[in-house]
Amino acid sequence: MPRQGAWSKGLSNCMVAALALLTAACATRPDPTNVAAVHSYEEANDPIEPLNRYFFELNNFLDMIVLKPLATWYAGVLPDFAQTGVRNFLNNLKTPVVLANDMLQDDWDGAGTTLTRFGANTTAGVLGLGDPATGWGYPRHDNDFGITLGKYGVSEGPYLYLPVLGPKPPRDLVGTGVDFAFDPLTYIYWNGPYTVPVIRMALGAVSYRATNAATIDSIEATSVDYYASIRSLYRQNRRSAVEGDKPADVNTLPDIDNLDLDAPEQTPAAPQ
Amino acid sequence: MNSRSARARSVLSVLAMAFSALLIALTLNATPARAGDDPAAEQFVTKLSLDAIKIISDKTNSKAQKEQGFYTLFTQNADVPKIAAFCLGQYVRLPDDQQKQQYLKLFTDFVVKIYVTRLSGYTDQTITVTGSQLKGKNVLVMSQINFTDGRPPVKVTWWLLKKPDGYKIFDVNVVGVWLAQEQRASFASVISNNRGQFQPLLDTLNKQIADAEQGKLPPTEAAVPAN
Repeated sequence: MPRQGAWSKGLSNCMVAALALLTAACATRPDPTNVAAVHSYEEANDPIEPLNRYFFELNNFLDMIVLKPLATWYAGVLPDFAQTGVRNFLNNLKTPVVLANDMLQDDWDGAGTTLTRFGANTTAGVLGLGDPATGWGYPRHDNDFGITLGKYGVSEGPYLYLPVLGPKPPRDLVGTGVDFAFDPLTYIYWNGPYTVPVIRMALGAVSYRATNAATIDSIEATSVDYYASIRSLYRQNRRSAVEGDKPADVNTLPDIDNLDLDAPEQTPAAPQ
Repeated sequence: MNSRSARARSVLSVLAMAFSALLIALTLNATPARAGDDPAAEQFVTKLSLDAIKIISDKTNSKAQKEQGFYTLFTQNADVPKIAAFCLGQYVRLPDDQQKQQYLKLFTDFVVKIYVTRLSGYTDQTITVTGSQLKGKNVLVMSQINFTDGRPPVKVTWWLLKKPDGYKIFDVNVVGVWLAQEQRASFASVISNNRGQFQPLLDTLNKQIADAEQGKLPPTEAAVPAN
């Protein structure tokens, strides 16, 4: 009985601590009478910003001590053609996920391209290490279930930044789970050792970091607020992916006629 | 017999002419109308981007010369006060007159130094303007940057404002990302995380400019992520 009492006391303490953490992690809502501030708060849509920032810093730390050194070593040791081969191989492995989402989005041209690329690159490209398909007029495109949900009209939801995974608002988090289920390798290695899936994931991360080292470092160094820049870049990039090849429309631009440092009258919405 | 064959020939020639006319009409209709609402804006973008590529690509230019060239290009062709105001978002009314002047100067220096760094990879490239849309004072010019090293082309959309004396850039969208919007997210975040004070933003801009001057910013090949 005393043991049970200690358990329940411990549990209630944990709940109080969790509640306190969540409360502390919530961004403060602006005064509802301040229309511009409310608009800005809703546009950022980042209600747990302090917690997200904490995980962002954590990931930056992990990047600094693990991923970046590994990527630098990888880029230094492997010749360019080998790095390209690894990238092609990993991209080819993603074919079932891309194909499933092409079809769910009713994009049959895209699905045809994905399938043709898989056939060409797996055979002529020697198990996907090469990418002759691009040269033959079948360029690579990416796709995922987060984009599929977006095309079905599901909104992204509040911004969420997770340890290791990075930016994963609810729609994209669900998308990642569904894509995991679309991947045949998930079932092939379901009961087997985790060696292959773990190596695939780690190699994917190192390869991506090595390929984009200059871009990532440049954004970090040139951002006034790295976290807010990444949030904006991620959001805009995902919105653009959901909209696909649809060109920008002059009719959707916000009215900026009266926007001036000396005579401000409004806070325009972001361009779509 | 002769008159019958002559009549047949004339009917045939009329039919052939009608068929040709139909073909020409169909061809004309089938040719997609190029969405070029504003050819002058397209010319403005073509000239401006060629000038920018020239400044960044010129290997004889020192970094300071590149920045000076880019500064002139930016201040002459962009609506700097409007962009600066946009980047403050909800805080546009926050700075006092002195802070406004400081902010405008720092903002211009910041943009020049940052984008000379970010654009340093866009050398020896070609740009193709693919169309434009016009509504009131707003013009969108669609273009594509083609790389010579096999990288896939990059879509760039220019948001211009039509002025009595020509055009001014307001924002640029590179592969789906509006650059002024990205800056606005950062600027607003710095102010809101410093209890709504304006000075920390000026301090941060000062620090970024100083870092750039001391060569702490890494050069980049091209700020477009690849998989």
